[in-house]
Amino acid sequence: MRMTFLPSLRVMGVALMAASAPLSLTMGSTVLAQDLQTGTLRVGTLNDIANYDPQQFSTINFPLIKNLYDSLIEYTENGEPVPSLAESWEIAEDNRSVTVTLRDDVTFHSGKTMTSADVDATLQKGANPERGKNVFATMAVVENWETPDATTVKLNFKQAVPDKQILDLLQFLIVLEAEGVDNIEAVPAGTGPFKLANRVVGQSITLEANENYWREGEPILEGVEFTVFTEDASMTAALESDALDLIYNGSSRAAVRLRDAGYTVVAGPGKLVQVFRINTTRGPFQNESFRQAFNYLMDRDAILRVGYAGLGEVTALPWAPASPAADPAYNETYAYNLDKAKELLDASGLSDAEKSDWTILTNGGQEDAVAISQIVQGSLAEIGINVELDVRQSAEFTTALLAGDFFATFGGVGNVQKFPSRVATNSIYRTVNNPVLKDPHPHPEYVAAIEQVNSAFGEDVQAAYDNLNKVLVESAFGIPTNSYETGLIVAAPDVGGFTLDIDNLLVARTLGFTN
Amino acid sequence: MKKWLQALRRNLVALMRRPGAALSVIFLLAITLAAIFADFLPLDPLRQRVANALMPPNGTNWFGTDELGRDIIARVVYGARTSLITAAGAVAIAAAVGVPIGLVAGFFGGWRDAVLMRFIDVLLALPGILFAMAMIAVLGRSQLAALIAVGVTGIPSFARITRAQVLALRKRDFVTAVESFGGSSGYNMFRTILPNSWSPILVQVVVLSSVAILLEAALAFLGVGVPPPTPSWGEMLRTGKNYLYEAPYYAILPGIVLTLTILSFDTIGRALTEILEDRHDTGAGLKPEGSKA
Repeated sequence: MRMTFLPSLRVMGVALMAASAPLSLTMGSTVLAQDLQTGTLRVGTLNDIANYDPQQFSTINFPLIKNLYDSLIEYTENGEPVPSLAESWEIAEDNRSVTVTLRDDVTFHSGKTMTSADVDATLQKGANPERGKNVFATMAVVENWETPDATTVKLNFKQAVPDKQILDLLQFLIVLEAEGVDNIEAVPAGTGPFKLANRVVGQSITLEANENYWREGEPILEGVEFTVFTEDASMTAALESDALDLIYNGSSRAAVRLRDAGYTVVAGPGKLVQVFRINTTRGPFQNESFRQAFNYLMDRDAILRVGYAGLGEVTALPWAPASPAADPAYNETYAYNLDKAKELLDASGLSDAEKSDWTILTNGGQEDAVAISQIVQGSLAEIGINVELDVRQSAEFTTALLAGDFFATFGGVGNVQKFPSRVATNSIYRTVNNPVLKDPHPHPEYVAAIEQVNSAFGEDVQAAYDNLNKVLVESAFGIPTNSYETGLIVAAPDVGGFTLDIDNLLVARTLGFTN
Repeated sequence: MKKWLQALRRNLVALMRRPGAALSVIFLLAITLAAIFADFLPLDPLRQRVANALMPPNGTNWFGTDELGRDIIARVVYGARTSLITAAGAVAIAAAVGVPIGLVAGFFGGWRDAVLMRFIDVLLALPGILFAMAMIAVLGRSQLAALIAVGVTGIPSFARITRAQVLALRKRDFVTAVESFGGSSGYNMFRTILPNSWSPILVQVVVLSSVAILLEAALAFLGVGVPPPTPSWGEMLRTGKNYLYEAPYYAILPGIVLTLTILSFDTIGRALTEILEDRHDTGAGLKPEGSKA
């Protein structure tokens, strides 16, 4: 399999993407790149970034990743792979390797030309369990890699790996400058369309256009100014008072209201799925029947409506509708049903005191999390289980979440529209180094199901997906409730040129002003 | 009838003769009774009906419903219980600690006065809300923690007011007389001086009650108050502000009740101060407890 894009076709592809993007918008302006004017885009966000490491693929880093960096390949909003830093790629017939040809005209912000040595340094970081962050799990299929010349990188896999999984890996690999890898959390070292100009921690980040950017005619903007807000309401007020041009990753409720008021709302394909995460090593959750009851205890419609203003879909599996493993039948089978939940709770053999001997860890800094936790609390109360909310503020909550210091809690998971085993990049779904369930994984049937998905070809693929879905609801360490929007963009009507990223990262390189 | 009861009755009558204070007393009485007997009312502050979320005020839900379809008036009534319990507990803690500190400091003076008042100065130097948040961080988020945190922040005011009263009364003849008849320091402090100092302390009880309610609401508004789903006015304001466009009544109605409650306490406190000052000017307030003068 070989995919090569000629430069002219690539430009056409980008132009087509820019032109077709508004089709996916709930409300948008149809403008071509050449009609857009330059200027400085004022963007509001609700959180400051954690660091500049693109391998830390957390939501709070989403505003910057695609503006400071580029990945080897990109997906269109429909999931089609297109070249980026990789000019072409070729997957071996036996699916045990992929050979990537890099562009030779790409420079880092430092001025140095990108070569395969930089990809090598990036891969080394990603393969390191301590430094690889979210990329590490994706690198699990990689046996080793070679860099025969300055523009070629060959990745060898431990076993035959499905095409989609290989493409996901290439899309996830954001190339870092080799000399900057060690200090990447503090100093960005990328090839992206913008360079870091200034940052006031907790307040603002200023980017300036990269004049040597390799994509022709991009970026359109002179710069981007991010202002960090602590309140969604104040951020939306700033947009409405013309102090901002665009707000990123605000609440669904505010987006619905602003859409009705005439603002452009851009919802990308990269939804997250909200998952009621269960620590199966603690308290009553060690009991399988008790856990399985929670498949029926989730009032998913109520959670979607209250938490996310109805923007999203209910789901009993951790997949976005576009995922190849999505199976809507599960939504009906595991619909909200207190009677069935009670049957399973009774079958657990636990005493009433044991059933109530746990708390729901709740992020007090997120109103949606507080609301949906109360919905679960209310459902439990209806069948006689009274549990408290363990409300902690954001930093304390994150520490407990990542350390697995909880009985149960809500948390969004990403990569749900990609190759199904990519779900294992999320902490609760990790097969190794799982910070909640620890090693060895207490649900070997789940680890085996992920392995089966990773090694299935042809007719075995669907069977592997079906098995994984069955194992997920039976092991019940994660109870999905709904997909929801992340990285929502709400923009003033004079902002155009939106490029939808598969992960809903903010892509500012094609943005501009219509007047 | 005991003298203090007579004095209370006299002050209450004087209070009710002032229209503003009378209205405030009636309002607070209504809120207090509703909070005490809430369990006997057809109100359920926890029952969720998500299908009825964010309903405007109507015949069934007089204040409308919140984002989970809970009855806002039920949560306001039960929220009053949270606020009043916090206020009562906080005032009790502040008075129980602050009054003895003020008594001892004022009565003995010297190094005891210096040490105790420096301790009070330290407490005063800490911003109340920050101190309360720090205490909750240590104690954990609960109503008891909020109550203790608010109570501790109220200690200095009781200590200083009591000390000032003791200093004013310490050299009065009736105190000296008790001492000359062999009355112990403890007897003199708690049986002679304290009963004659209760008026400003009573005013402080009223004033601190409003401060405590406001502080509890502020803590809840900042997300460190009573944990949900326990109703709290501050928590309702915190959540309601997210729905100001779709459901303004959600924040406004609890906000009005909170404002009226604080206004009532302040009005009563101000009226009491005036009444007691009038007594002081006429000499009525200087009659020592148990004296024939």
